[in-house]
Amino acid sequence: MECRELNERLVDRLTGQIRPEAEEELALHLAACAGCAAQAPALERAWEFLGEDSGLDATPEFRRRSRLLIEEEMLRMRVREFRPKPRALRWVAQAAAILVAAGIGYFAASRRVPLAAAAVSRATAASPLPDFESNPRLSNLSYQPVTPDGRVGIGFDVTTRHTVEGSPSDPEVARLLAYLLSRNTENSGEKSRAIELVQQHYGAGVASASPDIVNALTSTLRKDPNPGVRKKAADALSSMRMTPEIRSAFLEALHGDRNPAVRLVAIESLAAAAKESPADPKTIQSLRERAFDPSENGFVRARAASALKTMEF
Amino acid sequence: MPIGSEPGRGGRAEDRALLERVRRGDTEGAAELFERYAPALLRFTGRMLSDRSLAEEVTQEVFVKVITRASQYDGRAEVASWLFAIAANACRDRRRRDRRAPVVPIDALPEPAARGEGVEHALIDREKRDAVRRALADLSEEQREALVLARYHGLPYAEIASILGISVGAVKTRIFRAVETLKARFSEGATSWNAAN
Repeated sequence: MECRELNERLVDRLTGQIRPEAEEELALHLAACAGCAAQAPALERAWEFLGEDSGLDATPEFRRRSRLLIEEEMLRMRVREFRPKPRALRWVAQAAAILVAAGIGYFAASRRVPLAAAAVSRATAASPLPDFESNPRLSNLSYQPVTPDGRVGIGFDVTTRHTVEGSPSDPEVARLLAYLLSRNTENSGEKSRAIELVQQHYGAGVASASPDIVNALTSTLRKDPNPGVRKKAADALSSMRMTPEIRSAFLEALHGDRNPAVRLVAIESLAAAAKESPADPKTIQSLRERAFDPSENGFVRARAASALKTMEF
Repeated sequence: MPIGSEPGRGGRAEDRALLERVRRGDTEGAAELFERYAPALLRFTGRMLSDRSLAEEVTQEVFVKVITRASQYDGRAEVASWLFAIAANACRDRRRRDRRAPVVPIDALPEPAARGEGVEHALIDREKRDAVRRALADLSEEQREALVLARYHGLPYAEIASILGISVGAVKTRIFRAVETLKARFSEGATSWNAAN
């Protein structure tokens, strides 16, 4: 070993990364070279002296703030998937649906099919509905995918197998969906699927949802114990035209729902509705409360504040 | 602090499992990862930025990046190295962005008063600590990064090289030059920390 290698070898030793043979060479060199032996302690002292600073401690306040930030960021990641459809897409979908409806109308008129017959073909029930007044338990539910013309199919067992097909706006299908949403609640998965089906149909805002369905969805948003189901109900409601009943359910969710993702959908929906017509004082007051409540989730607060900024008072 | 004893360096498999939980959206997993690594990362960012509030901010930024980029972790480096690499980049970005931040604001690193052993002792300790911080802050950013990772976090050269994106040789050179500078600074007089004042 040569004198010029001294510091490098010493650093290797101080960092604990010196090879045994190199360490041996270093020891031999220090024993033989008075100059290096005199220099080595200074470098070791400098290294040791660095230990006088133990560095910053993570204070409880820093930990608390960081935990909140992490929770918000994780929520933000999840909320990205939950956002209601952008309004621009909704308009495009509406325009497309109107064109399709016009095309079907033209085709039907040109074929001179009697109106009554056309209606029957759109809303065929393969078997009659059971008597819902007796609160039957519908089991083995199955949903057929929505067809391009908006028809759905729902199969279930009561005592025998039933299959109901038609558009969700057909009274019988609407009654069945409302029943599944409101009373057939043993399985959150089945309920979620029913909500999705409703949302797929009404998502474009073309048809007005039946009052039964709106009622079932608002009731689900208010009462369902499963936050995922409440969130789905809120999403479905947010895709419908705002009515006083829907607004009232959103305001309640904004105040009382324990799940921030549900509260966020409520804010988004109320803010979107306020773009079409001036917001009512209750909505403004509720958003203000969320925006300034220090115990509220940071992301919900921020969203409420930015919703208020975009509103016309 | 002895080599390799830096707290917050968990097992490799556990770290990966935590990161996978973060990727799946598990808030508790993210919180556990934070508890495991925040103290070490805060010390690192503190030494790099010489300012507590900046260091806390950048450490939080690191965890936000970890959450948003968890799916980009390719498993080639250890999770700890990945975290320190994000932290090192974040510190460099912050220094570049915020030119107003002074390099050596010692007073911006307030520490709790020393406990128990008398005012005089506490003052001496504080003087020593401030001298170390000043000396570190005077090193170039490159030298400081390498030295801090080696001296305070006990990382091997190869891991430091992976974090900083340089060769092992370059790591050794940077540490060596940093120690040389510090040796000159600390080597005068019996109360060597005064030399740094």
